[in-house]
Amino acid sequence: MNVQKVLVIARHEYRVNLRRPGFLIVTGLVPLLGLAVLLLAALASGPTASALERVFVGRQITGVVDRSGLFTPLLPEYTEVYRLYPDEARGRAALATEEVDRLVLVPSDYLDTGRITVVARSTGLIAVELEEATDLERFFVAHLARDLPDPRLRARLVDPFEPILDTLDRESGPQEGGPLSIVGRFVVPYVLSILLIMTIFVSSGYLLRSVAEEKTNRVIEILLSSVTAQELLAGKVLGLGALGLTQIGVWLLSGFGLSSGAFLLLGLVIPLFTQPTVLLLAAVYYVLGFLMYAVLMASVGALGTDVQEAQQLAGLFSLLAAVPLMLASVFFANPDSALIRVVSWFPLTAPTAMMLRLPMAQVPALDIGGSILSILGTIPLILWLGGKLFRLGLLMYGKRPGVREILRLLREA
Amino acid sequence: MPEPVVDVRHLTKSYGDFVAVRDLSFAVHPGEIFGLLGPNGAGKTTTIRILMDIYAADRGQVRVLGEHPSRVRSRVGYLPEERGLYRNLKVMEVLVYLAALKGVPPAQARRQAEHWLAQVKLDGWAERKVKDLSRGMQQQLQFVASLVHDPELLVLDEPFQGLDPVNVERLKAILQELQAAGKTIVLSTHQMGLVEELCNRIVLIHRGTAVLYGPLDEIQHRHAPRRVRIRTSASLPPLSGVARVERRGDTYQVELADGTPQELLRALVLQDVPIHSFEVARVPLNEIFVAVVQGEKPGAAERPETESQEAAP
Repeated sequence: MNVQKVLVIARHEYRVNLRRPGFLIVTGLVPLLGLAVLLLAALASGPTASALERVFVGRQITGVVDRSGLFTPLLPEYTEVYRLYPDEARGRAALATEEVDRLVLVPSDYLDTGRITVVARSTGLIAVELEEATDLERFFVAHLARDLPDPRLRARLVDPFEPILDTLDRESGPQEGGPLSIVGRFVVPYVLSILLIMTIFVSSGYLLRSVAEEKTNRVIEILLSSVTAQELLAGKVLGLGALGLTQIGVWLLSGFGLSSGAFLLLGLVIPLFTQPTVLLLAAVYYVLGFLMYAVLMASVGALGTDVQEAQQLAGLFSLLAAVPLMLASVFFANPDSALIRVVSWFPLTAPTAMMLRLPMAQVPALDIGGSILSILGTIPLILWLGGKLFRLGLLMYGKRPGVREILRLLREA
Repeated sequence: MPEPVVDVRHLTKSYGDFVAVRDLSFAVHPGEIFGLLGPNGAGKTTTIRILMDIYAADRGQVRVLGEHPSRVRSRVGYLPEERGLYRNLKVMEVLVYLAALKGVPPAQARRQAEHWLAQVKLDGWAERKVKDLSRGMQQQLQFVASLVHDPELLVLDEPFQGLDPVNVERLKAILQELQAAGKTIVLSTHQMGLVEELCNRIVLIHRGTAVLYGPLDEIQHRHAPRRVRIRTSASLPPLSGVARVERRGDTYQVELADGTPQELLRALVLQDVPIHSFEVARVPLNEIFVAVVQGEKPGAAERPETESQEAAP
């Protein structure tokens, strides 16, 4: 293989696709969305803050009509989100004018019965809300226990425990920090994995488009008189892989710029320090996954008669590779289940499955080794088959070969 | 004898049960324009793709510039029949990229591209997008793309397709200049008139097999009917070796039974017959092509054109 020619093709693909409106829009959209969120946050300071917070964060203001006298006056730390009303009529009026989001009526015999009435503007999900109403529960506990002499006991009644997460299968030992730790350890790497998977599909989509266009334009035969099909394929994979990395780079850098480093800290540094192996393995699966899907997409792109048909054909493989994404709930519930292990071992789903699974659980070495081996074993096969289909498909104008014809072509190539 | 630029020996290529090329052999000599001819589906494109190492041969040997075709890609220029260019890129960008794939550095590629664009009167279009060019201009741009890297061998599949007469003349002139500069050209076209004007030798492929091969004039001579047209003010004397004579005014159509036109001319001169003109019938390549492909004898269907030879006084 002539490396110089591969690099010429890679440079060409990179430059041409970098200028595509579709690429510019997708690449620019993510930072723009980030910018929009920041602008909204800036606007949200001052008097509009609470209103916006209520809309976007879901922070609710609760009106309280206290006939029991147990909640009057309100403890200072609750005055921002709880408001006292002297009677039910004024409380209901405040609810009607959206001054508050719900109204809690505490009757005079509350201490005996425990019964309260919660009034909302409409029924909606009020029952669910009440089930999840830990804030309201804390409000009640804090006020009922306000006269306890021991402030530590009072604090524990309101906030009984600060969890330290620990599992038998974690190398890294107990993790402090509660929900923030969960964000750092699971959600961020998970989002990062999805981001990487997205770039694989975006880049291999460009590859498919590039091949199909060259075939439609009839420029392919001129190219094949200058380079081999393998050199053309390698150059395209390299150039468009670099394009995918550029896209990630732009997203990360713009995120870093927009949030003064917070995004980068959250997205890279936390997982890097907590789970460096995960990040390293994610990179391995990223490269292997891109290589496999890219060759698949290029071969399929070569078989279609035009861009649309090539995209339809490629949809089958995209769907297969996206199966782990569809199983996201299973990943969260039990990342070591039999189903997840199957998609982790199956070569066409292994890269995406493992990138999702790694941040979720301590994946057994057997599964890591097995999935990498299955991908490594499949790549030469795909390169061989794909290279043949690519070369033959490229020169078949105006008709799409059937399965029988593809098999015949593979035998003869 | 110098080594052939293209040397094809016993080439065979099949697609499933269909044999596209069967035991084909021919050679292209340095500095000649060689016609690779044949009807649609004869196996020309398959042969060309094997020469360009796009397809692999099933059997036989192919040497291009003395090497396996895979080793000489950068020394060969190719204009395929199924062709196109990147429509959204600028003309110069396309040419520099295609030259780079042949190993030409960008600065040199740019210089050569400017030279050839000027040759085909496209010099003002270098920074325009390909899609802005007319169909004919795109045809010429594709021709430029095939020789921007200064190849030793040029393989052109239907280069005149879609060109107007002015551009056909320009392209012919360029091909003749390239030949004069020592380049070797393999030309595949259905325009037999242009083959007669440009080609030194040809191979005619039919159903994957070479049915005619050799110098063009020899082939035409070989297929010429044994017929001579003589204009004279006298009556023709009885002549040996003549099968039939027809008279129309002062012109005689003479069909030879054996012997050659030269022997007939010599006999007429010896007998002191006053000859105003002596024409040996010459069959156009187009007719030979049709006849060979249809399995007929050339010259049987139509009256052949003639090549005039003024007789010696």
